[in-house]
Amino acid sequence: MRHHLALAPLALVSVFPIWWMLTTALRGEAEIYSPWPWPADPTLENFRFVIATTPVWRLLGNTLAYATLSTAIQLLTATLAAFAFTRWRFPFDRTLHALFALSWLVPFQVVMIPNYVAIARLGLIDTLGALLLPHLASALAVLMLVQAMRSFPRDVIEAAQIDGASHWRLLWRIIVPNLRAPLAALAILLFISAWNEYFWPLLLTRTPRSAVIQIGIQSFLTEEGNLWGPLMAMSSMACAPVLLIYIALQRQVIDSFLKAGTRG
Amino acid sequence: MARTFGHRTREALAPWLYLAPALGAVVAFTYAPLGYAGWLSLHQWNMMPMVEPRFVGLDNFTNLLTLPELEQALANTALHLAALLPLTVVLPVAIAILTQELRGPWRNIYRGLIFVPLIIAPIVAAAVWRWLLDPRFGMVNAGFKALGLGPVAFLQDPDLALWTITWITGWKLIGFSTLLVSASLAGLNPSLIEAARLDGASEWQVTRRIRLPLLSPTISLLVLLTILLGAQWSFAYIHVLTGGGPLGSSNTIWYLLWQFGFGSLAAGWASAAGLLLFAGFGTAALFLLWLMRRVSFHDD
Repeated sequence: MRHHLALAPLALVSVFPIWWMLTTALRGEAEIYSPWPWPADPTLENFRFVIATTPVWRLLGNTLAYATLSTAIQLLTATLAAFAFTRWRFPFDRTLHALFALSWLVPFQVVMIPNYVAIARLGLIDTLGALLLPHLASALAVLMLVQAMRSFPRDVIEAAQIDGASHWRLLWRIIVPNLRAPLAALAILLFISAWNEYFWPLLLTRTPRSAVIQIGIQSFLTEEGNLWGPLMAMSSMACAPVLLIYIALQRQVIDSFLKAGTRG
Repeated sequence: MARTFGHRTREALAPWLYLAPALGAVVAFTYAPLGYAGWLSLHQWNMMPMVEPRFVGLDNFTNLLTLPELEQALANTALHLAALLPLTVVLPVAIAILTQELRGPWRNIYRGLIFVPLIIAPIVAAAVWRWLLDPRFGMVNAGFKALGLGPVAFLQDPDLALWTITWITGWKLIGFSTLLVSASLAGLNPSLIEAARLDGASEWQVTRRIRLPLLSPTISLLVLLTILLGAQWSFAYIHVLTGGGPLGSSNTIWYLLWQFGFGSLAAGWASAAGLLLFAGFGTAALFLLWLMRRVSFHDD
């Protein structure tokens, strides 16, 4: 009983806002202020309004491209770096590992102006590429993969070396296929973080050409802040991919975030 | 001879080649900008490409430390973080301990539900809470009205704006923290608790003397995360919901920094402020890490 007393209110508080977003999105103008927990007469008119008045598909497409690309690139660079750290001992290896470990201490707000200036000099303001640049490598991904590769069975690697496999083959034929679980966990984490990213796009975006959906919601909120139905419809569209991933892979999503949390 | 030499050089180069992309990215987009921020902090510059940065020595730092807004922003940041700790540490620990024996389908249902806020985009969370807290039509005020209470202007009242921002920040993290504590509770050695029970310890004594000390690494981690990242996480809510207002009442140190950098286009000030923060929060982090190492003794 005390379990439910402690958890039911927390669960309700956690989910109610999301529920309210989805149901508001489906309400017609007549019942937008109704306190009834679900719409009596569900309609898609809010979604039609958003699609007709904002470039929402374009924004979602940009976000998808950005999140997919940054996830793929970060997985690749982290896999290579983690392999270097676990396969060899080389000068400064510990120092360099610490360089990755400490980089999360550097707050984004401290480096945002220098990065902005650099991007502006390269003439990349308002491009999708500029969004990717600071996300070519993830320190967290490097650290998590180093840990995963360190626990990789030694004898398998030695057997492969006796067979004369080059380190390149060793990495792609033996290690990576066996690290599918941690790689998938990281992919989920990186994709969701990129999808929800807000700071950096806010600095760089000028037009819908390169804007992501989070920026779209922000400008809709500033310009049409009281059109609650369409605002909630747009928010629902922005959440849909993440919520679908969550519904499909709930255990894995929770585990990968918890793991990242304890890794720091 | 020549061939072995070539082979050896290649072998010695190999780790560097694998490391190069990630290392290059971290240096180019984290450490080099940090150095550039250090250089900028000694200059005055409005970020216009035609204008040359002008060297001003430590003026940016001295000006910053005497700013009237800074004091309010620092006080707000401290209050915000202090108020965040009950939501991200105290409640999660209490809930996790109270519900640790829960098994079966309910456990998974609750886990699934309380985790949801974490994966919701901050902007979406801001939009939804603005709708829920709307003074005229929001559900929360509708509930208050049903109880006979007047409408509350959560985001417009200078006495409430900061607490509202804190609540939204906490809302996103409370379930996640609870699961983090639950996970480390599940990893505790059960024989210690068994032994204490056999010795006739009450449930409260077991929690007080065994569970809490064993949880101390997790608790310190949550405190660390809250202090280091809490004010950063709330940035999006402040930016979208209050703009730091009304009357600067919800302005935190991170948001002030943003206003300097991009509101007044003062790159030198913003960089100086950023470095001061980095130094301050970095010291706090190292201190907490040191503390964590000291208290996590009990682990074995």
